Amino acid sequence: MRLALTLVLTLLFLALESVAVKYMGLGVARIDVTVAIVAFLSLRAGLLEGAVASYAVGYLLDLMTGRPTGLYTLLAVITFLLGRIAASLVDVRSGRSFALFAMAADVTHGLLAWGLGSVSSKQMALSGLSGLPVEVLLTGLAALLLYPLLKRFGLGAEKRDPGLLPP
Amino acid sequence: MLSFLRRHREPLLVCLILAHALGMFLGSSRRVREPNLVDRIALALTAPVQRAVVATVDGTVSAWQQYVSLRSVRRDNGQLQAENAKLRADVVGLAEARAENERLRRLVHYDESNPGPKAVARVLGINPDPNRLTLRIDRGEGDGVRRGQAVVTADGVVGQVLRATASAADVLVVFDPNCRLGGRVQRTRARVGISGGGDDQALKLEYLLRTEDLEEGDLVVTSGTDGVYPPGLVVGRVTGVQRQTSGMFLNAGILPAVNFTKVEEVVVLAPQPGAAAFPTRTESQGRR
Repeated sequence: MRLALTLVLTLLFLALESVAVKYMGLGVARIDVTVAIVAFLSLRAGLLEGAVASYAVGYLLDLMTGRPTGLYTLLAVITFLLGRIAASLVDVRSGRSFALFAMAADVTHGLLAWGLGSVSSKQMALSGLSGLPVEVLLTGLAALLLYPLLKRFGLGAEKRDPGLLPP
Repeated sequence: MLSFLRRHREPLLVCLILAHALGMFLGSSRRVREPNLVDRIALALTAPVQRAVVATVDGTVSAWQQYVSLRSVRRDNGQLQAENAKLRADVVGLAEARAENERLRRLVHYDESNPGPKAVARVLGINPDPNRLTLRIDRGEGDGVRRGQAVVTADGVVGQVLRATASAADVLVVFDPNCRLGGRVQRTRARVGISGGGDDQALKLEYLLRTEDLEEGDLVVTSGTDGVYPPGLVVGRVTGVQRQTSGMFLNAGILPAVNFTKVEEVVVLAPQPGAAAFPTRTESQGRR
């Protein structure tokens, strides 16, 4: 059920983002709402549930790019796993800290996208990372705005591995 | 083995997911993958949602833009209406100025064709007294206007000065029954008497013998014999000729050349040499 909710929310955000990009002319720097969702999943969801949800979110993003290459599916799962590791090192409880967390996730995601994209596409290698700083800032802003919403919907509700003490 | 799998079920499944994603990426990196069945199903499920969201946002933005445009249009409309009203007022003013210019041009032309001392005056109003058909003009004794002077326009005879004050004068128009003047039928040169009919429809043509040649539309001009109007001023055209079977004179009217409802500027002519002071019907009858 939560997976479906995650997908619906992701779809809504992606659709909104596509409209926002159309109206605001952010052709170069896009807002990585999927990264914000994956970052949230890495903080709140269990390992398997989060991995599946991240896979689905990445797959959805891949589909919406028009030419599914599997890049964003792979990146979403990797970002989720790295986020899980990072989440064990930091304490994210507020919207601002979540925004910073999502920005860090977006930097990782951007670098990985560029690195892996360069392997498969020369065009991606040439495009470089010039748009990344703006993209990261916008993603941080979006994460700040999305945090209360994601919490409200209980996306990836608290589910810690057995044996760990609650934070 | 089974217990290992059971114990590490989640990490193994996650690895499987990661491996699948990696395989999908590596598989697609060699050649562009065509959408498979899962892709098609996912697209079929997500497309309506995406379309609905995009349509909603687009509709909202469009409605907002139209609202903003409407406000802008309303503001522009107000400005244009104000500008239009101003321009219309300007047009009316210009039309008025053009009409005045035309009238003055005709007066100037009259002045050139009729040399001699004269004063151009503007009509201030019409006497409300129905027993006296008079106009008030803005020239008086201070401008050399005296009682009995002829008042004309470029179209023809208007009347004569009845009374003059320092800065204004009253003009008895030829319609007034107390007003009379000497005339001549231009075509036949026959001399006639002209008197006011008491209304603004026609003047009376008098003292023309029944046997004289007179036709509808004949032009009647002043004869100059009354000592007020110089000869040759247009009075009007003959209308309603009636030849009686008895009597000396025929009956006819004269349709005046001047449209008195539209007179705005007039020319006051200098007194004629040897002119008597303002001959009204009463006085002229008394003299007779």
